[in-house]
Amino acid sequence: MATAPQSQPIRDAVVIGGNRIPFARANSAYTGASNQDMLTAALDGLVARFGLQDERIGEVAAGAVLKHSRDFNLTREAVLGSALSPETPVYDLQQACATGLETVIGLANKIKLGQIESAVAGGVDSASDAPIAVSEGLRTVLLELGRARSTKQKLAALARLRPRDLAPHAPSTAEPRTGLSMGEHQALTTAAWKITREAQDELALASHANLAAAYGRGFFDDLITPYRGQLRDGNLRPDTSLEKLAKLQPVFGKSLGEEATMTAGNSTPLTDGASAVLLGSEDYARRNDLPMLARVVDAEAAAVDFVHGREGLLMAPAYAVPRLLERNGLSLPDFDFVEIHEAFAGTVLCHLAAWESEEFCRNKLGLDSPLGSVDRNRLNVAGSSLAAGHPFAATGGRIVATLAKLLHEQAGAEGRRGRGLISICAAGGQGVAAILEAC
Amino acid sequence: MSPAAGTAGFREVRLPELPSVPRLLAQAAATAARERITGGARPDGLPAVRHTVADVQVDLEQLTRFQHLVGGTVRDTLPSAFLHTAAFPVAMSVLARGDFPLPLPGLVHLANRVSQRRPVHFIEPLAFSAWVENLRGHHAGTRVDVRTEVSAAGGTVWEGRSEYLAKGVFRPGLDSTERPPREDFRPPVPTARWWLGPEAGRDYAAVSGDFNPIHLSTLSARLLGMKRSIAHGMYLAARVLADLEAAAGGSHEWEIRFAAPVYLPAAVALRIEDLAGNGHWTGSRFTGWGEHSRRLHFTGTVSALA
Repeated sequence: MATAPQSQPIRDAVVIGGNRIPFARANSAYTGASNQDMLTAALDGLVARFGLQDERIGEVAAGAVLKHSRDFNLTREAVLGSALSPETPVYDLQQACATGLETVIGLANKIKLGQIESAVAGGVDSASDAPIAVSEGLRTVLLELGRARSTKQKLAALARLRPRDLAPHAPSTAEPRTGLSMGEHQALTTAAWKITREAQDELALASHANLAAAYGRGFFDDLITPYRGQLRDGNLRPDTSLEKLAKLQPVFGKSLGEEATMTAGNSTPLTDGASAVLLGSEDYARRNDLPMLARVVDAEAAAVDFVHGREGLLMAPAYAVPRLLERNGLSLPDFDFVEIHEAFAGTVLCHLAAWESEEFCRNKLGLDSPLGSVDRNRLNVAGSSLAAGHPFAATGGRIVATLAKLLHEQAGAEGRRGRGLISICAAGGQGVAAILEAC
Repeated sequence: MSPAAGTAGFREVRLPELPSVPRLLAQAAATAARERITGGARPDGLPAVRHTVADVQVDLEQLTRFQHLVGGTVRDTLPSAFLHTAAFPVAMSVLARGDFPLPLPGLVHLANRVSQRRPVHFIEPLAFSAWVENLRGHHAGTRVDVRTEVSAAGGTVWEGRSEYLAKGVFRPGLDSTERPPREDFRPPVPTARWWLGPEAGRDYAAVSGDFNPIHLSTLSARLLGMKRSIAHGMYLAARVLADLEAAAGGSHEWEIRFAAPVYLPAAVALRIEDLAGNGHWTGSRFTGWGEHSRRLHFTGTVSALA
């Protein structure tokens, strides 16, 4: 007689390690490589690093933000082309720039519930190999042609075609409901919070310096596998300086006149890349003699109404983080590392300013006092997206693997279980935050 | 705004079907041309008539194209601006009458006020009625209100008041009002931008039936004294409403007041903001202006029906 499955207590899900390919500026080293190619490369690097050859992983989840319609099963196709067992089940996920982090959260939850023992979370994006669509006019005519039965109907459909319908449509970073690009949205928020050009350039400089230093001490040796001749992140400028950054012309918010402060130096460039993170139960890690870097403690998503002028497009994590901290009884000083995705330097600085603002914390968050300050010495200590680049869906995996390793290093050096906070903003006014804790 | 009170004593003219807008425009243009030659005089007052059309069925394909063009969702209920558009030929038929005192070609749209009482499903047979009232002076000419009503299942579901200006037409007995002092417009922080191409007027004409030449091309607009074609006011309103239709639901009221016309092509900056700052939607205020010219194009509100 079959017995009903026992309900299991929730167990821990741990980050075992990560692998990514170096991030490359758009139209450079990875031109011609598709999302599927790059994701496969990131997976194969992970397989090689952790001996997963032909292993049936519990589940793999990954996604891309800029996605061809032919890539309806992007992750499954990548897994079939990788060294993982073809019997590994897979799902695709898409949550704009939070895609990578959300795959980690969803899979960690399955591990915690005992549904799977191991998982690979990932993400990929290519700005070089972006899908290009036909115009709405041409698409309508083509669909009409498909439905037409008689020659007369076909001619009638073709007669609707206008010359302007022949122009191709490339994806843009403009929000569909506002027509403003992400940079323009952030420029408005940056101006509203009165974030200076100097403060943004300083943050960008710190990102490059921290990423260069992390490379210098070999931090990425077991996190990155070279690809297509690219050995390290192509956007990294180890020799940049405040003087060089100050010379760049503003590119976003130029209609703001004097207040335009956002340049190519303090904004992330379009980037190609892929990342993958290996997750497992503690039991899985022990059985396979794999390291345990950090536990995935908890996560929270938030969304804001930017369409009707209530909040800035990229400010949702400013709401997700306080809710996450409250549920876990934590405050900002409880974190040894804080990873705030640098979509733009202004995004990070607006979040820091919001959490320090009594007015924002009272009126928008319903708190009695400000959430507090983030110690800059704990912020993005191994560099972040301004230096590394930002292949949208791949950023979450980069941050999770980096933070897990930082926590593991600290635990080894100081013998204590530190905590790390992740905050990622996403298109559509969304944001996701998560907490990791050293094992 | 009950119909009986506004149009007591009005003669009802029942139209057999929705009139054709291009035909009405051509007819009105011919009348205006004839008057220029013969010097034929128009009456001083407004015709006391109410034009009605019953049993109108919405064209589903046209509805879909309208909803897509203005950036709305393809729903089974009719956008408030679509009802304006659907009833527009009836309103036009009143303006095109020989005894309407103002020349139809060149009438400028100043404002709209609409109250929608309940959601209207596309399958409902609709009755439209329209009349004109409130002929009055304006510093630049003569103003008139065009009133439109939509009813379904015997009850009024939608009421609209459009204010039009006949520029440079001064009727005897109507005081010309003082030109109000021009207010300095300082653009607020935008929440959106619309790129309107030169085809924006033709595209909206195709889904709305409003083929007024001032919207169609630079050439046709120049023939009517405009420097370039301009966007339809109702297109601008419909786009704002598409952003707010989910919040506003099926019963709401809105108004829009037009300032400088939007010459095509254009980059229009838009700000939408809550009327009350408590985080719960009771209404929104909106402002549209030229991103480069920084001239005010329109302002308005959308609010829940009290």
